[in-house]
Order: sequence, then structure tokens, then C-alpha cells
Amino acid sequence: MSKTLKGITLKGSAELVAEFFSFGINSILYQRGIYPAETFTRVTQYDMSLQLTTDAKLKNYLTNVISQLKEWLFDCTVQKLVVVITCLETNEVLERWQFDLECDKTAKEGSAPREKSIKAIQEEIRSVIRQITATVTFLPLLETACAFDLLIYTDKDLEVPEQWEESGPQLIDQSEEVRLRSFTTTIHKVNSMVAYKRTNST
Amino acid sequence: MDDMEDDTTIFSTLKSFKSLISCPDRSLLETEPAFGRSGLQNLYTKRVELEEAAERVRSHTNLLQLTQEKQQMELSHKRARIELEKEANSSSRDLQREIDRNRELLLQIRRLEEREEKANQALNEQMENNKALKRNFEELHKKANEKDSKLAEADQMISELKDETRRLNQQIQIQESKFSTQNLEIQALQEQLDVQRKKFQDVSQRYQNLQTSHSTSTESELKIKELERRLALQEQDSVIVKNMKSEVARLPELEREIKRLREENTFLRETKENNSLLREETEGLRRKLERMERAMEEKLKVELEKEKLEHELQAWENIGQSTGLNIRKPEDLSREVIQIQQRELNLKQQNYTLNSSIRSVEKARTELMPEIAQLRAKAQEEQKKRENQDSLVRRLQKRVLLLTKERDGMRAILESYDSELATSEYSPQLMLRVKEAEDMLQKVQTHNTEMETQLSKAQEEAGSFKLQAQMKLHCIVFVFLRQKIEELESERQQLEEQNNILEMRLERHNLQGGYDPVTTKVIHLQMNPTSIAKQQRTEEVEQLRVECQRLRDRLRKIEAGGGMTTDDTTLIIPPSQEILDLRKQMESAELKNQRLKEVFQKKIQEFRTACYVLTGYQIDITVENQYRLTSVYAEHMEDSLLFKSTGPVGSMQLLETDFSRTLTGLVDLHLFHQKSIPVFLSAVTIELFSRQTVT
Repeated sequence: MSKTLKGITLKGSAELVAEFFSFGINSILYQRGIYPAETFTRVTQYDMSLQLTTDAKLKNYLTNVISQLKEWLFDCTVQKLVVVITCLETNEVLERWQFDLECDKTAKEGSAPREKSIKAIQEEIRSVIRQITATVTFLPLLETACAFDLLIYTDKDLEVPEQWEESGPQLIDQSEEVRLRSFTTTIHKVNSMVAYKRTNST
Repeated sequence: MDDMEDDTTIFSTLKSFKSLISCPDRSLLETEPAFGRSGLQNLYTKRVELEEAAERVRSHTNLLQLTQEKQQMELSHKRARIELEKEANSSSRDLQREIDRNRELLLQIRRLEEREEKANQALNEQMENNKALKRNFEELHKKANEKDSKLAEADQMISELKDETRRLNQQIQIQESKFSTQNLEIQALQEQLDVQRKKFQDVSQRYQNLQTSHSTSTESELKIKELERRLALQEQDSVIVKNMKSEVARLPELEREIKRLREENTFLRETKENNSLLREETEGLRRKLERMERAMEEKLKVELEKEKLEHELQAWENIGQSTGLNIRKPEDLSREVIQIQQRELNLKQQNYTLNSSIRSVEKARTELMPEIAQLRAKAQEEQKKRENQDSLVRRLQKRVLLLTKERDGMRAILESYDSELATSEYSPQLMLRVKEAEDMLQKVQTHNTEMETQLSKAQEEAGSFKLQAQMKLHCIVFVFLRQKIEELESERQQLEEQNNILEMRLERHNLQGGYDPVTTKVIHLQMNPTSIAKQQRTEEVEQLRVECQRLRDRLRKIEAGGGMTTDDTTLIIPPSQEILDLRKQMESAELKNQRLKEVFQKKIQEFRTACYVLTGYQIDITVENQYRLTSVYAEHMEDSLLFKSTGPVGSMQLLETDFSRTLTGLVDLHLFHQKSIPVFLSAVTIELFSRQTVT
């Protein structure tokens, strides 16, 4: 694994970011209660305990998306990853967790690895995930049954694989946005933000 | 010794050999003179040779002999030495032995000497002992003598003592007699003691008897108490028994009552069971009713939702018709929105371009403005200069005129002076003219200075005017420029604000998830959880609708009051006949209730009217426990008496009202003194009646 070598290569960076997304999406699903808490199991990652789903269908879906995302990260063709939470009764989008990706295109496959320690990157990832957990305090409650979807913003000229289709951006009508922390592997920079539907009481 | 013998033999042999040798020599010598001289010489030489040889031999033999002798000597020496050594050894050994013997002898001598000494010592000691013994003996002798003396004394003493002993014996005898008498006394006392003891025993026995009797007495007392208690109890028991007898007499009646009650109990239990069954049935029916009602409500809700959804759908479809665009799906709407946004972007770009062109034009204008200003300033300056120069010219002309005038004057003076040179009286005229000239000079000088000051002032003023004009120009230009700057700054601020707003909008757009459709596109998996959940929802909704339809059909069937339903539904509805029976019962019960209510009302009304007519008072219950009485003959509608019931016995108290204040006399008389309410009330009616008939 390129991670164990000193320095970050493009492939290693893609894997780190994909891993972060996998755990981050699981955390969001657990924290927002999209799936019942008993379908999650505790694992240790980034020196903290995180929740990972045990639902087979959901796991399958996530691995499909993340593996495809890893390829695109390697090609530096992906711009954003969005977790859209929709209310099933009204078909309204209630929350949007958006992760902007800035890829340093000068880091090609064969170039020298960048000097940044895995520990520092993991520290940054840990603070991002902690912040995601902390945002639950001010986000409005999701009282109705909700479902989630993963959208990926890519370059226009990218070839859409099978089983993928184009969709709208699924924006929130009257939203409040909060910018969260970001982390960088010196090749990929991930900016996080969350947008939620403004409740009438606020 | 053998060596000596050997030596001797060796000597003897040597001797013999020598003798032999000497003989032949002689023989040789003797035998050889017969030969001639040559023979003699030869013989001589031979003899010499022989002699030499003999000498040699002799020497050799001598040598040998010597050596032999030497060896023998050596041998003998050795032997002698050996013998000597042996002798020496033996002698040494003898010496040593002697020495040892000597030593031993010496030792013996010493020992003997020591023994001697010891013996001497012992002797001495014995001597001493002897002496000591002798001394002892003498001492003992002395002692013996002394002892003898003592013995003699002792004998004397013994005799004395014997006397004493006799005396003592006598005393002893006396004592013994005393002793015996005392013994007798003792015996007497002991007999008394015995008697006393017997008495003591008697007394103790009596005491014990007393104690036993005491204990028996206490026991008997206790027994008495117990017996008394028992007596009391028995008396109580007898009393109770008497009571019991009376109660027992009631027994048969009680038994009868018990039987009756038991029968009633069984009957009530049966009815209770029936009641509970009926209640359960009614509750079941009620719950079913509630469920049906809920189903109806849910059906209504679903219908409402359906209508809402239809409305929304129509609204969405109408958007297409209302906006006049070819819109069928939300994607078209989004597309239209995107197009509008693009148009907006284009317009904005045009706007920017126009703004930029405006700015460039204004920049050119502003650049030209100062040039214009400069040119204007220059023109004005030149005008000013020209004016100044004109004024200068005028001044100079004036000066020239003045100077010409002065010159003319001076010339006239000079001519006068020249003309006056010929004359004689010139000095006063000269003086006068000099004075005049001086005056003129001074005047001219003052005029000059004044003119010069005026000139300078004028120049200053001109300069100041110039400056002021320039300043004014500059001011105007400054003002103009400042206005321009302010306008530009305000424009800049506005543009900055617009820029910030646009940036914020962009940021917001980005945060909300907007994107540039030219460079990016949004994709997702077809089989994603949201679409799956939506599908499930629609399926659920359809299922619910189907269920609703089924429930509606069932309801209709139930309301129609049909027979058994053949649908395989999950609701367990009991046979409709029971429902009908129960409904009929309910209706009948309700009807009964209603009739009873009507009857009660009628009766109450009749009763109240009767009371009103007969007693003359209308009694209303306004508040709990308060009765308001209104008289038939009341003058006003509000005149009423209030009574309050106190206690369950039925006692009433009059409460204060306006009307009752007017009747204080009657109140005092009938209520306080006579304490009768009916009398009071009748008095009040009489009073009111009398009032009415009079008025």
C-alpha cells in the first residue's frame, strides 16, 4: 500500500479520501437517523469509534459508489460529492451534505510522493468527522421518514458508466448553509459544508 | 690386610723381577767380552742398545711397577681409607653410642638427682609434718587437758541440771493435774455445747417448718387468687353464655336469612356473568365502531391527499400552459430555469461590457478634462498678460506724458534761465525759480513715489487678482475634479458592493449546490436508496388505496345489513344480527330514557305550578342549597326571598335581599321570636296581598 511509504501518492490520496467518504457517509446516516441505530455496529477508525452499517443492501450500494468514486479521484475528474436527504412523504429535500473536491492535477501517476504524514491527515479527518457529529445539535430534527441519495458532480465530458444516470442537483428550497472544516492530502483537498431547509419557526 | 699381603706379594714379585733383570744384565755383560772390538762395539752398541732397551724396559717396568705400586698404594690407600672410614664409622658409631649412653647416663643422673631432691623435699616435708604433728599432738594434748577440765565442769553442771530436772518434773506433775482438771471442764463444756447444738437443730427445724408453711401459705394465696380470677371469668362467661343464649335463639332465623342470601348471591352471580358478557360484547362492538370510524377518517385523509397530489400535478402541468413553454416534466422546468439563468448571465456580461466601455469613455473624458482646463488656464493667463501689458503700456504712456511735461517744464526753466542770464537781477528770481524747481522736483518726486507705490500696489493687486483668478480657476477645477472623484468613488463602492453581493451569491450558489452546467454534470446511481424508498412509498400508497377500497365496500355491505361476508379480510366482524339486536336494545333504552325524562319534566312542572298556586310562592333553586321564593303578589319582578339550607335535617336560613330588608318587622317577629318560616311566609303573602288590594 502506498500509504505505508513515506509520502502521499495520487493513488494513496485517492484511497484516503475514499475511505473518509465511506466512514463519513456512514456517520451522517447514523447521526441523522436515516437508518435505525441498531443496524449499525461500532468500529474503530482514525483513533475514534465510528458507526458502520450492517445492512447488506446499503453496504453494497455504498461500496459500488465509493469504488467508482475512487477511480474518478484517481483521474481527478470528480468535483463534488453530495449526500441528499429527502423526506419521503413530501418528496422535499431536507438536507444536503456537500463535499467539494479540489484535485491538484500536477500530481500525476509517476511523480514523487508528497511530504505529508498520514497522522496529520488522519488528525484533520478526525476533526471533520467530529464536527459532522457536532452539527447534529443545531440541525433541525428529521421527524418524518427520510431516504438519502449520493450525487457526484463530475466534468461534463466524463463518460457515464452503466447503472449511472444524470440527475438534477436536488437543491433545497430556502436553505441555510453552514461551512465545516476541510482537510487536504496535498493532492486532494476536501471542503465540507451542510445545507438544511429553513424551518418556519426560525 | 689382604692388601698388605697383596702389596707384599707385589713387592716380592717386583723384587724377583728385579733380580732377574739384574742377572741377565750381568750375564749379558759377562758373555759378551769374547767378541772382538767390533764385535765389542757391536756388542757395546748392542749392549748399549740393550741397556738402553733394558733401561727402557726397566724404566717401563719401573713405570709399571710404580704404577702398580701406585695402584697398589692407591688400592691400599683406598682400603686403608675404607678401613679407616669403617673404623671411623664404627668409632663414630661407638662415639655416638657412647655419647648416647652418656646422655642417658646424664639423664639418669639428673633424674636421680631430681629424685634425690624430691626425696629430700619429701623428707623435709615429712620432717615438717612431723613437727606439725608434734605440735598438734601437743595442742591436742592441751585440749585434752582442757576438755578434761571442762568435763569436770560439765559433770558439775550435769548434777545441777539433774536437780533442776527433778524440780521441773515436779512442776510438770502439778501442771498435769491442772491439765486434767481443765480437761474435765472441757468435757463439761462440750456437753453443754452438744445440748446447745441440739437446741439449735430444733430451732432450725422449726424455722424450716415455718418457711415451708409460709411457702404453702403463699401458694395457697396464689391458688386463691387464681380461683377468684376463674370465678370472675366464669361469671363473665356465664354472662356471655346468657347473651349467647339469646343470640343462639336467633340462630334459626339467621340460618333462614343465610339461605335466602345465598340464593340471592347465586342469582346475582349469574346475572353478573351475564352482565359481564353483555358488557364485553358492547365494548367489542364499540371498538369495532371506533375502528370503522378511524378507517373512514383515514380513507378521507387519503382522499384528501390524493386530491392534493392531483392539484399539485395539475399545477405542475399548468405551469407549462401558463408560461406558454413546452413543459411536461420538472426537468423541462429546470431546463427553462437554466436557460433563463444563461440569458441572465449573457445580459450580465453585456452589462459588464457596457459598463467597461462607459468607464473607458469616462476615463478618456477625464483625461481630456484636465487638458482642457490647462488650455483654458493658459488662455486666461495670456489674456491677463495681455491686459497687464496693456495697462503697463498705458502707464508708460502716462509716464511718458508726464516726463515730456517735465521736460517741457525743465526746458522752459532752462530757457528762462538762459533768457534770464542776460539780466542782472537773477538771484531772487533764480532763487524763486530754484525754489519753484525744487518744489516742482519734490512734487514730481512725491508724485513719482506715489505713482510708484500705486504701481506696486496695482501690481500686487494685479498679482493677487491673478492669483485669485488662478485660484478660482483651480478651485473650479478642483471642485469639478472632486465631484468627479466622489462620483467615481461612489460608483466604485457600488461596484464593489455589487461585486461582493455577486461573490456571496456565487458562494451561496456553490454552497447550495449549484453548478455551471457547461463544465459539470450531476450523476447518481439509478438504484439509489431514495428512488427505492419512493418506489416503496408509491407501492404502499397503492396498497393503502386498495385496502381503502376494500374497506369501503365492506362498510357498504355492513351498512346494508347483509349476511356473512365472504371477503378474506383481517377484520373480525360478528354476525350482523347481534349488532341489530343490540342496536335495537340501545334504541329502546334511549327511547325509554327520553320518555322518562319527558314524564319527569311534566310532573315537575305540574307540581311546581301547583305549589305556586297553592302556597303563593314560586320556589326556584338558583344555586346549590339556595332557594329563591317569589311571591304571587310581588310588586316588582325582582322581589324575592333567599333561603339557604343548612345541614341535612332540612333547616333553612333566610339570606339578606333587598326585599327582605323591607320586611324587617315581619322577620323579627316571625323568625326571631316565633322561629317559624311558614308563618313568616304566610305573613308576607298577607302583607303583599293587603298592599295590592289597597293600591
